[in-house]
Amino acid sequence: MRANQPNFAARVDAALASPTLKTAIDRTTGTAERNRARAVAAWPDFQAARDLGRDIRAHVVNNIDHYLVEFERNALATGAKVHWASTSEDACRIVVEICRAAEAKSVTRSKSMLGEEIGLPHALEAAGITRVETDLAEHIIQLAGDPPSHIVWPALHKTREQVKELFAASHRDPGAMEDVESMVQAARRELRAKFMAADVGISGANFLVADTGAVCTVTNEGNAELTTTPPRVHIVTAGIEKLVPSTTHAMALLRLLVRSATGAELTQYTTFHTGPKQPGDLDGPDEFHIVLVDNGRTNMLADGLAEMLRCIRCGACLNHCVVYRNIGGHAYGGTYPGPMGSVLTPALDGLPAARDLAHACTLNGSCQEVCPVRIPLPTLLRGWRDRSWREGLEPSSVRTALGLWKFVATRPWLYRLATAAAVRGMRLFAKRGWIEAMPLAGGWTRHRGLPAPSGGTFMQQYQAQKRKAR
Amino acid sequence: MSRERILAAARAALGRSGNPDAGAIRAEAARLVAGADRGRPPRSGTLTERFIERLTDPKVGGTVEQVASLSGLPGAVRAYLFTHNLPASIALPPDPALTALDWAGIATHHRIATDEPVAVGLAACGIAESGSLVFHSAPTAPTLHNFLPLHHIVALDTAKLLEWLEDYATGPACGGRAQPRNVNIVTGASGTTDIEGRLVRGAHGPGFLHVVLFAGG
Ligand code: SF4
Repeated sequence: MRANQPNFAARVDAALASPTLKTAIDRTTGTAERNRARAVAAWPDFQAARDLGRDIRAHVVNNIDHYLVEFERNALATGAKVHWASTSEDACRIVVEICRAAEAKSVTRSKSMLGEEIGLPHALEAAGITRVETDLAEHIIQLAGDPPSHIVWPALHKTREQVKELFAASHRDPGAMEDVESMVQAARRELRAKFMAADVGISGANFLVADTGAVCTVTNEGNAELTTTPPRVHIVTAGIEKLVPSTTHAMALLRLLVRSATGAELTQYTTFHTGPKQPGDLDGPDEFHIVLVDNGRTNMLADGLAEMLRCIRCGACLNHCVVYRNIGGHAYGGTYPGPMGSVLTPALDGLPAARDLAHACTLNGSCQEVCPVRIPLPTLLRGWRDRSWREGLEPSSVRTALGLWKFVATRPWLYRLATAAAVRGMRLFAKRGWIEAMPLAGGWTRHRGLPAPSGGTFMQQYQAQKRKAR
Repeated sequence: MSRERILAAARAALGRSGNPDAGAIRAEAARLVAGADRGRPPRSGTLTERFIERLTDPKVGGTVEQVASLSGLPGAVRAYLFTHNLPASIALPPDPALTALDWAGIATHHRIATDEPVAVGLAACGIAESGSLVFHSAPTAPTLHNFLPLHHIVALDTAKLLEWLEDYATGPACGGRAQPRNVNIVTGASGTTDIEGRLVRGAHGPGFLHVVLFAGG
């Protein structure tokens, strides 16, 4: 899914110019940040748990071939059908074929970022199959025609007023919708019958349990089970990295996933789906299909991005990223935004289309500090910068500027002269400590002030300190 | 074929020459989760106290009461219906342990409606660490009973309380062919924070979760 504007700078400009976006992002990510901090503070050994999370995920990634085969064997034994898809096109074709064979007219879907990654919503529509998104946020963005802007809260860019408008225009019985509660009730009424009428239910997977062949989903609304239980056919689409050795390992990761995402101990509904309906069962699907999707993951493994395959999609790195919190998810232009998206998108969509993302990072390291599986996101981002340079993807203006900087920086006397002049120059534009406009700084000052340098350059201050100490 | 292509690509990336050593991998996986306290949150109080504390935490949003034995369930349900001004009609799964109880004054039915006001169920076990209830799908326990009602009243035998999530994972009901089609681990009432990050109950699943603890032994 790509946002409207073709280039990153234009998308960022549009995001920064939005009068509501920043407030909307802060409301949800701010709450998530506070709740996570509270959950982590209540668990003195949280760092040890993160080590365990890292070790489990690294173990799976290092043995992914073994676990894929084990999972397949055990899933087949439960009566599931297992499909393999190298590319997103393969995956969509497999899903559409299963839907066609089931003569499906209506499909319910419970939120899955992999589904977005492979373009499944579009593929279903192109096949003439009615798609009903059942997660509240996905329902909102389906009505709005927007791509998701966060991996845990896909509709966080929408304000309640905008949601109210969308529901009023499309729900059969929206009601007055005076508050958020009544909006949630409106969606509950609207989607109820659709859950029960669907021919096929499609879900993602938070974990694929190798030793039981089970698929684990985690939701807080209960929409996953209402999506997967009534229809005749349940299809799971999952990235091959979602494997865990056993339910025990899944439990250890669930603790980390949920605390990192929302600050809760466990999400409301954690379900292990194992095969189709069993003899005598009163509900559940007759057919249970699992589509294992590669779509670039084995390339990541080969290309030095194995650490990124540890990701459990908790969203903490987005919530704690200064850049994400200013520009939101759409500006990134890929399926996955924020720090994890900046690492994943070049791998999924190609570096030439996504090279800006690695540069849109302050390298402050917050993402790495909160990542429950300790992915070294800043290091991986630097890796993309390096590769972009080596592959000659950086524009000539950047190359010239860096060449110039190198010339100055390798001559200390010149560097000191230049920085001293810059500090003096910047002060000319300052009003009450802030620079609101200055030549060459429009990109910054259009949306915010730039603090004016208060003291001298670093070397001037250093010398002054030394003199004082004497 | 995608299967062979994916496996070959993975093996090439991992630099594997032959087949992976399944025994060594299994041993390493077991070692990772072997230390009993590695990666577990702190705890205090008795098992039942811990369960109740988690379940009734505002983030989980469950309510709880205790009765002497399972035969006290219909009385607790009656009182709940009365307090919440609900009709004296409940969806009840066809579980003999539940149908054998004396439901005088309450109409019961097995087929759950899409807009069922109240369903009463029996949990397979509970997990104290997170205040969770575990349900196993079975001919006597349809999955939809846990998701369609607005009010879900659940009986739980305190003898079936487990300490940690892992205790369930390594228990007899988990793993192998014996695993039910659906294991639903339910932690509180349904909720969403999808509109402006505000927590609202009753998104699609039950808006109210009431647990009736009994001493089964
Ligand atoms: S990279 Fe880490 S913090 Fe970010 S979504 Fe993945 S697991 Fe969470």
